[in-house]
Amino acid sequence: MHTRLLALLSDALGPAQAANELRWMNRALDSRLSLNDMVARRVRGEPLQYILGTPSLQILLSLPAHYTSGTQPFGPLNLLVRPPVLIPRPETEHWVLRLADSFLPTATVPVSLLDLGTGSGCIPLLLCHLWPPGTVNAHGVDISPHALRLAQDNAELCGIPSRLGLTKNPQNTFTTSSANFLAKDFKDAALSAYPRFDIITSNPPYIPWKEFLELPPSVIDFEDPRALFGGPSGLEFYHAISRLISHKDILNPGAIVALEVGHDQASAVQALMHDTGCFLRTEIWLDPWGKQRTVIARM
Amino acid sequence: MSSPEDIARLRQLKESEPLGNAWITWEQTRKQMEETALLLDDPDPTMRSMAADEITSLSNTLSDIIQNTFPSLLVPQSTTKQLSALLELKSGVGGSESSLFLSDMLRMYQRLANNASWKSSVLAKNDTEGGGIKDAIVEFKGEGAYDALRWESGVHRVQRVPATESSGRTHTSTVAIVVLPLAEETESHDEELFSMDDIKLEVMRSRGAGGQHVNKTESAVRLTHIPTGITVSMQDERSQHQNRRRAFQVLTSRLMDLKITREMEERRSTRRNLVRGADRSEKIRTYNYAQDRVTDHRIGLTMKNLTSVLEGDGIQLFIDAVSKHHDESVMLDLLEDKET
Repeated sequence: MHTRLLALLSDALGPAQAANELRWMNRALDSRLSLNDMVARRVRGEPLQYILGTPSLQILLSLPAHYTSGTQPFGPLNLLVRPPVLIPRPETEHWVLRLADSFLPTATVPVSLLDLGTGSGCIPLLLCHLWPPGTVNAHGVDISPHALRLAQDNAELCGIPSRLGLTKNPQNTFTTSSANFLAKDFKDAALSAYPRFDIITSNPPYIPWKEFLELPPSVIDFEDPRALFGGPSGLEFYHAISRLISHKDILNPGAIVALEVGHDQASAVQALMHDTGCFLRTEIWLDPWGKQRTVIARM
Repeated sequence: MSSPEDIARLRQLKESEPLGNAWITWEQTRKQMEETALLLDDPDPTMRSMAADEITSLSNTLSDIIQNTFPSLLVPQSTTKQLSALLELKSGVGGSESSLFLSDMLRMYQRLANNASWKSSVLAKNDTEGGGIKDAIVEFKGEGAYDALRWESGVHRVQRVPATESSGRTHTSTVAIVVLPLAEETESHDEELFSMDDIKLEVMRSRGAGGQHVNKTESAVRLTHIPTGITVSMQDERSQHQNRRRAFQVLTSRLMDLKITREMEERRSTRRNLVRGADRSEKIRTYNYAQDRVTDHRIGLTMKNLTSVLEGDGIQLFIDAVSKHHDESVMLDLLEDKET
């Protein structure tokens, strides 16, 4: 059964993953895509997520047909992905699911959440989906118009409204705005528009210059450098975040900050959070592959 | 609002309903018979013959109650009646021919599920080259699915000339089947089957930095239940979350199966000719194409017309026969218990 295609894929991905991906491609077959083309694109390094296209979703959301888009499962959600926005990673899925379990907001006082560099919107949307209705109002900022558009499409797909509707039923909400959180005036802009936050989440760009040059084609050819490159040291955005939360008026008492970090950055980022003097304790969460992936700071 | 105790009581009440109904039918029929018997001496000959006819019909009803209804009530209520089922198929001896037969069997069970209005979905499946299936796990959702399918556990043997065989020689191949009970994920259990501390969860090993550095698509997971050594691997879905959920579902089923088997053993230390569910290495059925027959070795039942079993509804007859045999041996054991 497709021995030649399987061999081609195996060279690129290894035998076990090749068998799985060929099966998923087979399931996604439709009149517009042939298995040959899918394998050829994958072997050239295109992300699997784009290849397993989603014509039905495109029609549902009345997106222009030329939009290359695909999907990526994220927890129980199936999110749209579209170049050049960063495709949600399984490491992120893992820590967000854990965060959802370790913290349960109540409807009496809905929490307000800020996601910095929201990309596809995966982090706030999964939390909005998992937490009970009426317990969280999330806000995502990003510098990329592609990301903001995608995050809004995903919110629509997940049924998370941008504001409370006329219905009496409690709802979680998700809004987006364009902002550069490295900018000096970001704090003032953020504060003027929103109340204080109970949770700040972020998967900021964290790849340092040296590693950026060695990224594989499926990343560097398709994903926005602005979602990946964390400055020469890779830590530039964590410095900006720590400056932001050092301001007295940005966090509510008892707030939580959850930051995804690169494979060798956890201690450095933990130290940054500690040095703000805002937090009672900080901890580091491992990802399923044993890497120190998330820094959690609690007031 | 109803409390859990209320629900248990209601269930008990509901379950004893057939018993009460049977007794009421029996009493009513007997009373009717007594009343009709008086009319046998009626002066009117027409009335007498009508009464005689009715007596015959009523006594038929009574003997049917004695022969069928009452015995069926003696068999203890199945505690697994409401459970759905997981069916695991693994190809055995016979290589690619075994895989081909496995896909035939899978279709047979899917047709059965369709007739019984169970919802079937394939949780995991490994295709082989040439249209066969190496192994598969299928979920059958619906009340009674487990009780109907549970006696399908065991080794199924096929004797036929494979489509791929040019010399026309008959091959013997086997497919091993294990049927597991499946509880709804939302259902609360009387006791937890496992503790999360006993579970080791592993993901596909991968080197490198992870995170933003790579666009990972590996989603395979493996669960190990340390106390029993049971492992479940799941890699069918793109979503690791989904694979994890399914792996936990299969693990729960395997542990529940262990529990049910253990309870069965404990309840009955003297088990004789009961159709055995425990020994899954036993050959239970042969599908012989040359002789156009299917034979169940446990109850010695042979049916001609193999196509009606594999492509029609014939499998239902085997399932009914084996299940009846099971009920009869339970009754036999009850009688023996009384005598000793």
